[in-house]
Amino acid sequence: MTAAPRTLPGADLCVHCGFCLQACPTYLTLDDENDSPRGRIVLMKGLAAGTLSATDDAVGNHLDQCLGCRACETACPSGVPYGQLLEQTRAETATARPIGFLSRVVLATFAHPPLMAIAMAGARLLRALRITRLLARVPGRLGNLMATLEATRRGAAASYPPAPVTRARVAVLQGCVMEGLLAPVNRATERTLARNGYALCSAEGQQCCGALHAHAGDRETARALARANIAAFEQSGAAFVAVNSAGCGSAMKEYGHLLAGDAAWHDRAAAFGAQVRDVSELLAEAGPVPARGAAIKVAVDHPCHLMHGQRLSDPPARVLAAIGGIAATELPDAAQCCGSAGLYSLAQPALSQRILAPKLNGIGASGATIVATGNPGCMMHISAGLIRAGSDARALHPVELLDAAYATDHQADHQGGSR
Amino acid sequence: MDPLTGTLSAIVGATHVIARPSELIVYENDGLPGYHKLPRLFVAPGNREEAIAVVRALAASNAPFVARGAGTGLSAGSLADGIVMVGMQRMRRIIELDPVARFATVEPGVVNANLTKAAAPHGLHYAPDPSSQTACTIGGNVAENAGGPHCLKYGVTMNHILAATVVLPDGEVVRLEAPRDDEIGIDLLGAFVGSEGCFGIAVDVTVKLTPNPARICTMLADFMTVDGAAEAVSAIIAAGIVPAALELIDAGTIAAVEASIYAAGYPTDAAAALIVEVDGPIAGLDEDVAAVGRICRAAGARTVRSATDAAERARLWQGRKKAFGAMGRMSPNLVVQDAVVPRTKLAPVLRAIAEISARYRVTVCNVFHAGDGNLHPNIPYNASDPDEAARVHEACDEIMALCIAEGGTITGEHGVGLDKLPYMDALFTPDSLDAMCRLRSAFDPARRANPGKVVPIHRCKEWLAAPGVEA
Ligand SMILES: Cc1cc2nc3c(=O)[nH]c(=O)nc-3n(C[C@H](O)[C@H](O)[C@H](O)COP(=O)(O)OP(=O)(O)OC[C@H]3O[C@@H](n4cnc5c(N)ncnc54)[C@H](O)[C@@H]3O)c2cc1C
Ligand code: SF4
Ligand code: SF4
Repeated sequence: MTAAPRTLPGADLCVHCGFCLQACPTYLTLDDENDSPRGRIVLMKGLAAGTLSATDDAVGNHLDQCLGCRACETACPSGVPYGQLLEQTRAETATARPIGFLSRVVLATFAHPPLMAIAMAGARLLRALRITRLLARVPGRLGNLMATLEATRRGAAASYPPAPVTRARVAVLQGCVMEGLLAPVNRATERTLARNGYALCSAEGQQCCGALHAHAGDRETARALARANIAAFEQSGAAFVAVNSAGCGSAMKEYGHLLAGDAAWHDRAAAFGAQVRDVSELLAEAGPVPARGAAIKVAVDHPCHLMHGQRLSDPPARVLAAIGGIAATELPDAAQCCGSAGLYSLAQPALSQRILAPKLNGIGASGATIVATGNPGCMMHISAGLIRAGSDARALHPVELLDAAYATDHQADHQGGSR
Repeated sequence: MDPLTGTLSAIVGATHVIARPSELIVYENDGLPGYHKLPRLFVAPGNREEAIAVVRALAASNAPFVARGAGTGLSAGSLADGIVMVGMQRMRRIIELDPVARFATVEPGVVNANLTKAAAPHGLHYAPDPSSQTACTIGGNVAENAGGPHCLKYGVTMNHILAATVVLPDGEVVRLEAPRDDEIGIDLLGAFVGSEGCFGIAVDVTVKLTPNPARICTMLADFMTVDGAAEAVSAIIAAGIVPAALELIDAGTIAAVEASIYAAGYPTDAAAALIVEVDGPIAGLDEDVAAVGRICRAAGARTVRSATDAAERARLWQGRKKAFGAMGRMSPNLVVQDAVVPRTKLAPVLRAIAEISARYRVTVCNVFHAGDGNLHPNIPYNASDPDEAARVHEACDEIMALCIAEGGTITGEHGVGLDKLPYMDALFTPDSLDAMCRLRSAFDPARRANPGKVVPIHRCKEWLAAPGVEA
């Protein structure tokens, strides 16, 4: 069964040069061009032209196995908008190939704040009771899930005073998982921004960013969430929307594209997208204010949606460079996806672990105790892998490191003053 | 079900055999858009033993086949028209790297740039650097005798291959080695390099590694006329300077690159720019740099600047090396051409190409290894417009005829494959073509390796009956 021909704008840009092949984690893991960007573009063109059927499981699997990491875009000289092709294809084949049950449940939870609150409270309870730690190394999916939750455990953070306001008003996206499981990262984000002279304000009524829904092919839910967020941040009066989750930031910067067909919202969406900044961009813009911090060896990994989605690798490096005590080195495969990729670790658990494996080896070889990466999914996936491998190293957000360094400095200076 | 599927699955595992048409279509073409041929089956051996067993199984059932590296070829050389495709991408281990004796033995699916990456900690690199080096494989490079910007000084693939283990189409495994100076006999390795997959499958390749130069200086000179740039090329070589690389990019190419993620800072208002790189021991390099600057200015260069650090140097090269890919943004389709003319004829030939493109109302973007006289006049166009497609086709034929008439040839590095087959008659006498057929028969008497490519079969009567071949 094949559908009527559709257009797939941007697919024709592909000249089949192959420059994207070695950038693609699934190609390097599976060794089949059907699991490469160049091959998937051929498949997507076939689906669009109607020469391939969306009910062909082989074709569907190759597209499902795509991480959506967009490393292929950063490698592509011709400017193929791979991420957009994939989202469009997933949306248009969603009736023929419905989203899996598990993913549907997760997506529904993310879109409904009361459900999300219950889920997050449950997860926090498991964590507080240390059940997550107990079960983290049990083989299989349950152990993996527990390790992923255990990865969000954080100690108490010390505080320090903000600097006088010298910079713009910003509102921080609270996010779903960030506020639910990694609230200390949000607080660190707020403190470091304030320490660098930003004025913080809140945006009431903000929601999930909708990135996961768009990636999975549920564009209508994604659009509804986008509209809610645009309205919420508009009324906050902030000049910038600060985002500490690379995946959310990437999606929010592209709200203009998501709402391109919506006459009433398109301009507002585009204007909103232009106000979105990764937290590292705002900090780098301000310097950031240097810190001494403790001496630690840090391995740097780049979240795909920062490096490839937003083309940012310098700002996080500047955040780390502001911390005197840190010796930072990039992981050899820093530009390559860790396998977390939104719902991927749920939908493709085995492949996700195979993609993670070389990264864990690299971390082991680096001798670092901390992996710096600015995305909740990556932090959780990498830390979970480390926990399950029995390693003491953990993945943290760069702003957590900067925040800790400011706190350490403040404490040291304070004690020095009172002595 | 295809009877071979089971046989091949037993050797390499079922996941590495593809028989469904909906999955085979991704293997329908190589780096040259426009040709599509559906393979009968795709099989990817994971190591040398599996590769040998696969070829033997194919021999036993008399099945023709084509090897495929990364499918970046630009002559449709790795297309398998209804025959078996043997993919080499799983065979990507570096078997041995000896930094003291300066050689490496690699599986054929090792990507060119990954070999250089592995050699870098030892201050070494693999010298042949096709622009596709971040994608193409050593096996594909050997089969095409690939060149690259730095082959002007360091030589092409041929000059860097020490040995290869080859499984001949009948399943026999032979070791081919470069002859030593005092040896008499046939250079079979020399015959294999550049054989475009028609002589069997290389299952390992031993290559030379080259020490990195002590110092490198990369210069960018921009010109307001293409003529000026072409003259500078001849003058630099005539002055006795051997640049490591000498590349010309014209205005159309600059526009495509500067619009891409690989924007290199080439001046978008220039008619052409030269990338000139000189390298070597510290002594004498400054004189070469000064001389290149002088010669370029004398030929009309507006500015000549040198990359100040490694990052800028890399940026200048990235722009050049991704130029062909960047042209994808200009039109839905692209003709990638490859021809050679004597270096001294560069200026008149480029003028004639400009005249041809104007006459046929097509856009030619030149980006090429100027030091070697190896032209790449590329034409972005829209294939769904039959009138434009016809004009592009005719312009191409005329450009090829021009290059031959000027004493040049029809391919510098991309090979003949399927794409250049029609031009072979114009270049070679029937006797030469017949000799090629006979050499090919020596390696592949049953004519099962990459049939229908390279030598036009209507010239070789004995080939007409070959399986999988159409006259
Ligand atoms: C953007 C771009 C730029 C390029 N720039 C250059 C350049 O600067 N210089 C240049 O020379 N080429 C260039 N090329 C062409 C191409 O990259 C080369 O021809 C390259 O050598 C092909 O390697 P591959 O691994 O992709 O081989 P494929 O395209 O897969 O195959 C090419 C040929 O090699 C044969 N083959 C592959 N593996 C084996 C093996 N193990 N044993 C025997 N035969 C085998 C195939 O049968 C086929 O005939 C460029 C291509 C692109 C897309
Ligand atoms: S790099 Fe871009 S143009 Fe080249 S094959 Fe990949 S997607 Fe296509
Ligand atoms: S998005 Fe990532 S996994 Fe998907 S094709 Fe591109 S590089 Fe490969």
